Amino acid sequence: MTPRSVAFRAEREAQWKELDGLVERALRSGMKSLHEGELRKLPVLYRATLSSLSVARRTALDRSLIDYLEALAARAYLAVYGSRRSTRGALRRALFHSFPQQVRALWREVALSFGITTLGVVVAIALMNVDQGWYDAFVDPSLASGRDPQASTESLREVLYSGENQALSFFASFLFVHNARIGMACFALGFAAGIPTALLLFTNGLMLGAFLSLYASRGLLIPLIGWLLPHGIPEIGAVVLCGAAGLHLGRAMLLPGRRTIRDALGDSGRRAAMVVAGSVVLFGIAGVIEGVFRQVVQDDALRFALAGFNAIWFFGWLLLGGRKRNRPDTDSA
Amino acid sequence: MRNPRDHIEIVGPEGVPLSFPTATVMERGFAFMVDMLVIALITAVMIIMGVTLAGFGGLSEPLAILMVGLFVLAYGYFTFFEIHWQGATPGKRLMNLKVISRDGTGLSAEAVIARNLMREVELFVPFIALTHPEQVFGRAPWWLLVPTAAWVLTMLLLPFLARERTRVGDIVGRTLVVRVPRAKLLADEAARVSLVPSAPDDALRFSADQLAHYGETELETLADLMRRHELREATLQDLGVVAAAIARKIRFEGPLPQHDPARFLRAFYKQQRAALEKGLLFGKRKASKHAD
Repeated sequence: MTPRSVAFRAEREAQWKELDGLVERALRSGMKSLHEGELRKLPVLYRATLSSLSVARRTALDRSLIDYLEALAARAYLAVYGSRRSTRGALRRALFHSFPQQVRALWREVALSFGITTLGVVVAIALMNVDQGWYDAFVDPSLASGRDPQASTESLREVLYSGENQALSFFASFLFVHNARIGMACFALGFAAGIPTALLLFTNGLMLGAFLSLYASRGLLIPLIGWLLPHGIPEIGAVVLCGAAGLHLGRAMLLPGRRTIRDALGDSGRRAAMVVAGSVVLFGIAGVIEGVFRQVVQDDALRFALAGFNAIWFFGWLLLGGRKRNRPDTDSA
Repeated sequence: MRNPRDHIEIVGPEGVPLSFPTATVMERGFAFMVDMLVIALITAVMIIMGVTLAGFGGLSEPLAILMVGLFVLAYGYFTFFEIHWQGATPGKRLMNLKVISRDGTGLSAEAVIARNLMREVELFVPFIALTHPEQVFGRAPWWLLVPTAAWVLTMLLLPFLARERTRVGDIVGRTLVVRVPRAKLLADEAARVSLVPSAPDDALRFSADQLAHYGETELETLADLMRRHELREATLQDLGVVAAAIARKIRFEGPLPQHDPARFLRAFYKQQRAALEKGLLFGKRKASKHAD
């Protein structure tokens, strides 16, 4: 009278040991250390071991056997599902399919984020019309670098057309790093119910409005817009998108719906992360435009042409990217 | 036995629940420190290289590349390794830890990006708030200080309080950090055969009544005792005491439990397990001697 689990183990032990060896190598030196035949065998052995585990849990009374199978199955899971294998074109798909798709999926938050920024702009302009003194409240003096109501119109104009040719690349990368960090913070702060994100967007709008109002009061509105728009489209666009990602996170917290807050946060976190990752790329593009083109191109017409060009690719990317074409026979995977 | 507090169960795509040991806050903290050390070292090397190149050439390009490089290092380090090293940074690998997806599917890039985007807010902001409060709170009025401080404290303490030791990034990315379990298959006590050909274990037969006393807990205790005996952690006398107790309980007649307790226990264990496993096949589970 021998226990059934003894025969059960004897029949399958060689298979477990084989999996054990493969997993050990995969975990120690990476999946690359397995050759093709072994790679194909790994999931097969893994599933066989899972079924062994299920059977053993229900019918075997050998704790050490069950513990072994539990640990082996868990180890094999890490090797098999540790990370999705990156396939060819994963980055291209993420950038041109997932990113615009997720942006469109978050259109409500994008609209809200844009609305909050616009509100900031409007409030700043309205208050500045009453009293130019508000400027200092909206714009951090260290960022203004002399562009304030006390400055002469001439010096304000000079800022827009001063072609500083020195250290352009340094300036561009500084702007990129600075803006990308703000964008990421915009997202991460959404975890506090989205409140800090909304505040950040609003103050960003206030600053923008204050600039617009100051330059408009000196009759420099059109040159300012020409100076602002070429890089402003990707840059302000990216801030709005990061803000939307943060608000999405905040919404999951305040209005999780039928899901638990935890599940809601997980769902929206992954979706919003994609939007932030794409926005970092936008910040990079904006940094190059801001740091190089803005300084080199001095002509208003050229600047507006560049702005138009940027608007076309920016909105084309976000609105059309990753849409399924109407071809029923080919399913884009 | 498994303590549910230090194990996490996830269900893989095959539908079989898997159990992982939870990484402790200590282990994770240590892994993080190792990673920060690596980042600091690379940063130092990059700065020295960038500044030297800029100094020699009198150019600003090396500094521009340095700036972007440091940014990519600071934000991309964890994400890069967790995607390419199957959920482990060098620090985690050293500590034998892995990031896995809470829902049991493969760890996706989105999940890794999400969990690492939160790092700045949940670790560096509290750190700066403690060391340089004016940088975080700025000109904010005093009444904002209280909710902000409470919020920062909650995020810092979350891994200690949450059952699955999740930090904010784990919640947002829906990930878990687990320890890679070790798998060691011990010899099966029931598969051991008597080394004395004249006295095979199977010669000893227990009746169904005699096998109706004990349950799984006692069986496991017995297996453990015999294993310890193999390792010479338990003496023959220990076996003798247990054998006598079992013989008394199941009313086993004869001198065998005294003469050769090892053989008696081996035979009893084997047949008791066979009987209980047969019961399992019919859906009868006897957890211990106290169960019906």
